[in-house]
Amino acid sequence: MLRPARPRRVLSLILSFTETTGIPPVSMYPTVAYVLDPRFRGGTSSAVAAELDLVSGLARVEVHALSTAMFSGRSVAPQLGDALARLTLPLIWDAREIAADIVIFHNPSCLKFQDTLATRIVANKLIVVTHENFLRPGGAEGFDVAKCLELIGDSSTVLQRAIAPISPWNRQTVDSWVSTQSPKHDWAVQPWDWFNICSFEMQAPTPHPADRRGRHSRPGFEKFPQQDVMDLCFPEAAEQNVILGADSYLRDGSAPAHWTLYPFGGLSVSQYFEQIDFCVYYTAPTWRESFGRVLAEAIAAGKIAISDPQTAQTFDGAVIGAAPSEVNDIVRRYISDPVRYQRDVVSGQGKLGKFSSTAFEATFNTLLGQMPGGPR
Amino acid sequence: MILLCSGQISSRHFDALLLFAAQLESGGHSVAIDARFMPEETIKQQKYEMAPFLADAGDINAETILVIGAEAMSDDAQILLRGVNARADVPVWAIGHYATHQDEINARNKIAFAMGREPELLNLSKASKPLLLEGLVAPLATRIAPHPEQSDGKGCKLLVYMPFEMLEEDDALTGLAITNYSPNVELHVLTNAKGKDLIRRSKHAALSVFGYGELPPDNLLNYFDVAAFFGSNIPGERMAALALLAMGSGKVVIDCTTTAGFAETGAPVVRGPDRIEALSGYLHDVVMHSRVEIGRRSLQSSWLKQFDAAALEREVQLTHLPRVQPDPVPQTVFFPTNGNGLGHAQRCALIADAMQDETPRRFAAFPSCIDMLENRGFGCVPMVPRSDDHGDAFAADLVNYIRLRQLLRPGDRVVFDGGYVFDSIYRTVSALKLSATWIRRGLWRPGQINPTALERERAFSQVIVPQEAFAELNSDYSTGHHIDKVGPIVRQGKLSAKEVQSLRDRLSIQFDQEIDTLVVTMLGGGVASERTAQTQMLCSLLEQRTNCLHLIVAWPNAVVAPGLAGWRNSHVVYTTRTLALCQAADLTVSAVGYNSFHEILYAQVPSILIPQSAPFLDDQERRARAAAERNLAALVLETELLALEREVSAFLDGAKADEIRKALAAECLPDTGNVAAARLIEQGG
Repeated sequence: MLRPARPRRVLSLILSFTETTGIPPVSMYPTVAYVLDPRFRGGTSSAVAAELDLVSGLARVEVHALSTAMFSGRSVAPQLGDALARLTLPLIWDAREIAADIVIFHNPSCLKFQDTLATRIVANKLIVVTHENFLRPGGAEGFDVAKCLELIGDSSTVLQRAIAPISPWNRQTVDSWVSTQSPKHDWAVQPWDWFNICSFEMQAPTPHPADRRGRHSRPGFEKFPQQDVMDLCFPEAAEQNVILGADSYLRDGSAPAHWTLYPFGGLSVSQYFEQIDFCVYYTAPTWRESFGRVLAEAIAAGKIAISDPQTAQTFDGAVIGAAPSEVNDIVRRYISDPVRYQRDVVSGQGKLGKFSSTAFEATFNTLLGQMPGGPR
Repeated sequence: MILLCSGQISSRHFDALLLFAAQLESGGHSVAIDARFMPEETIKQQKYEMAPFLADAGDINAETILVIGAEAMSDDAQILLRGVNARADVPVWAIGHYATHQDEINARNKIAFAMGREPELLNLSKASKPLLLEGLVAPLATRIAPHPEQSDGKGCKLLVYMPFEMLEEDDALTGLAITNYSPNVELHVLTNAKGKDLIRRSKHAALSVFGYGELPPDNLLNYFDVAAFFGSNIPGERMAALALLAMGSGKVVIDCTTTAGFAETGAPVVRGPDRIEALSGYLHDVVMHSRVEIGRRSLQSSWLKQFDAAALEREVQLTHLPRVQPDPVPQTVFFPTNGNGLGHAQRCALIADAMQDETPRRFAAFPSCIDMLENRGFGCVPMVPRSDDHGDAFAADLVNYIRLRQLLRPGDRVVFDGGYVFDSIYRTVSALKLSATWIRRGLWRPGQINPTALERERAFSQVIVPQEAFAELNSDYSTGHHIDKVGPIVRQGKLSAKEVQSLRDRLSIQFDQEIDTLVVTMLGGGVASERTAQTQMLCSLLEQRTNCLHLIVAWPNAVVAPGLAGWRNSHVVYTTRTLALCQAADLTVSAVGYNSFHEILYAQVPSILIPQSAPFLDDQERRARAAAERNLAALVLETELLALEREVSAFLDGAKADEIRKALAAECLPDTGNVAAARLIEQGG
């Protein structure tokens, strides 16, 4: 069996302890086992990679990969692969048993296309981090939540089971689902958000903002609003309308000529940000981002980010929440007031501190402190 | 209107859309298929099936949007759904076979994301519902008739589905032929194109064969009381639909599949032999005498009720939609084919004139005939003639199909006159279950008489064969109680000597010349046969005569060669009043189409007959020869220009015209069939 990596900060202490006492040190430090299908793409992979970077310094970390039906045939997401290589953490595929003090199961929806989970989880605490909203706007289920939770619940022998939402909106969907459904197992909802770590390098805003708009996302249909909203957000009058991830528009040729279209991955994110001053991001009205990492990326890149009010609420004012019909006015006002533009971007970047590694570490340490052998 | 879309853009999904559209339409719903969901490649049969339903989504006012096959939505389909522009309150239904709750959520999500609105969901794979066929796309269902819809009488109409592979086996065709020999069985075989071709090339070519996609399942229903399915299993979605519709109509479905594919689902079918050789005996011993009772019990089956189309429609809340009401006043619609002249339309008009019942009569007619018909007091719906400019050779007929479907309603009577039964008429009659009459004159060329040309006769409840004047010209191409022979259908109107003189006087005034000699030429517009040389020669011969008027008759709208304009004695006239002109003429030079020929005979007009020879025409030479042998006309073949000169002289300078007049007056011609045909149509076959 592969040996899990040990936290760097406590490594010297462990060695010293072991040499002195001859007692294996493993039980003294909480073991944290991550369980995930590492083949998912997008912001979630980046968030988990950042989390591994941090947590591997706080606890003994194992990373267990599930080859779920949802991502069959895909390879490990590059962000995660890089992080694992950097941390020299082996990826343990489809272990029959996972035993740890804390098991963090990222993205339970990865189980939605299967009826079995051939892995046994034994832990003090099992935390399921809900990267996908349980419910969509309007109340329809986002995925078969009951089945996914039941698969995990049936496969686990734990003292505590907890669901960890990643944002206020995400929490709202979890609470709403839990209040109306009767999951087979007892699941507590974690009282704090298991947010995406946003440890981006902050870019200075341009002193001369222009009406250069853009949006970037995976190309899924859920990521795009209806045409009338897109037309409001990316009008002909704008100097630039850059759509990165516009695969479906490129396929059907329906996009207006004044949009500059790139397929997903057709432009590096930095090249994309060079072309815009405003990130205008709306999704299908029947879907909503659970966190909205693309917006955090835009703020960090020195842009004004505009989205719907519910999505914006995660960012405490760093993202401007507005109706699509208000976008033009917002953009116009900022262009006419570059100082305000710069001030608000910088202010937004400051608010991203809420999602920093430091903030996450503090929260995570609280969790570890509740574990036997964890830091007090 | 209901707008139909599918979860994928594929031939299979499109076929399912066609099946579903037909199913909804049969319930009186107004249905359209979003044209963007049509796959790139479609075959002729699909084009006919789709034509009544295909629409640009932006052109219709959708009241409900139904997405079928939603269990496996493709990106392409999502892109198209994103472009559907319907009011926010228009419900969208995701109809699919969902094995799991996640499948339902997936379908719901994909439509919700693409369209920005939440769909309703209908799962066709309910645990309690039997599975008719694995992998179905269409929401197959059937209307359940109150009583078995089977034909009266001791015998039965039998449809046998047999795959090509089985037809290739030894004795399969013989087995079918043996079944067909039974006087109590009217057999139709249903197979794929290869199978049909195999039968047509065999010694059993006369079997009635339907190609797999030749008619949609609900149209095929008219052709059988009992359906027997051979092969290894249920042969696909279309045949499953056919079997289901048959059950819902109270017909007998015999499951002859080797795996008992239908019976295993619990469907109300009877299990039959899996070898064709045994079918005939089984049919007579087990089914024939009990077929109505078997059908009655099928209709009471609880299995069948789970496929009740009305229940499905209630589930997707279609009951509130306006239903298409059939026109309460039945009509008789004549559809003469677009021949090279006006012959078919003339014949139909003569029959229509002779009809006496109160049923309104109107025409679906090609432009070349419309003036003539309207002048005779008939209303016309214009049909579109074929053109080489069309992408598909059948493009015009496709439009005509739509027009016929719009024109005709169940309960109407349709009378088709022509040699080749167009898809438009064949499909309309089959779809609307119309009482249909085929006016089919004879004298086909030997190569034209084959099972393929005659197979569409099965759509007609009545075939009226206008006879030729001379017995040796009449043949029976098919037999049966539905065939009625009538005397020649011919325009009549014998002019008196006074009327003849009056007409010649009017012509003299019209053309400002004395008329000692009047010659009428009716050789056609050159479409069927090139006759410029003959016409020019006649012009030349007649130019040398004093006080000679030569009228070259062209049908209204016909194109006439410009070289005819320079003659002094010869003039082109556009008219349909040929009968009077011919009687006033000293000589008529005519092609030998059915109508012209019989008009000449019955009006006792001396004539030189020059048969047209295009391969698609009737055998004009035989017709002309029969008259010439009786000394009732002169025959000049197209190559015999010198003979033409001699005959013209013999008629105009010699006594031949008088001899022929006398012979015609002495000839005992059969009674005309105009009234008889009219009565037969009124009686409905």
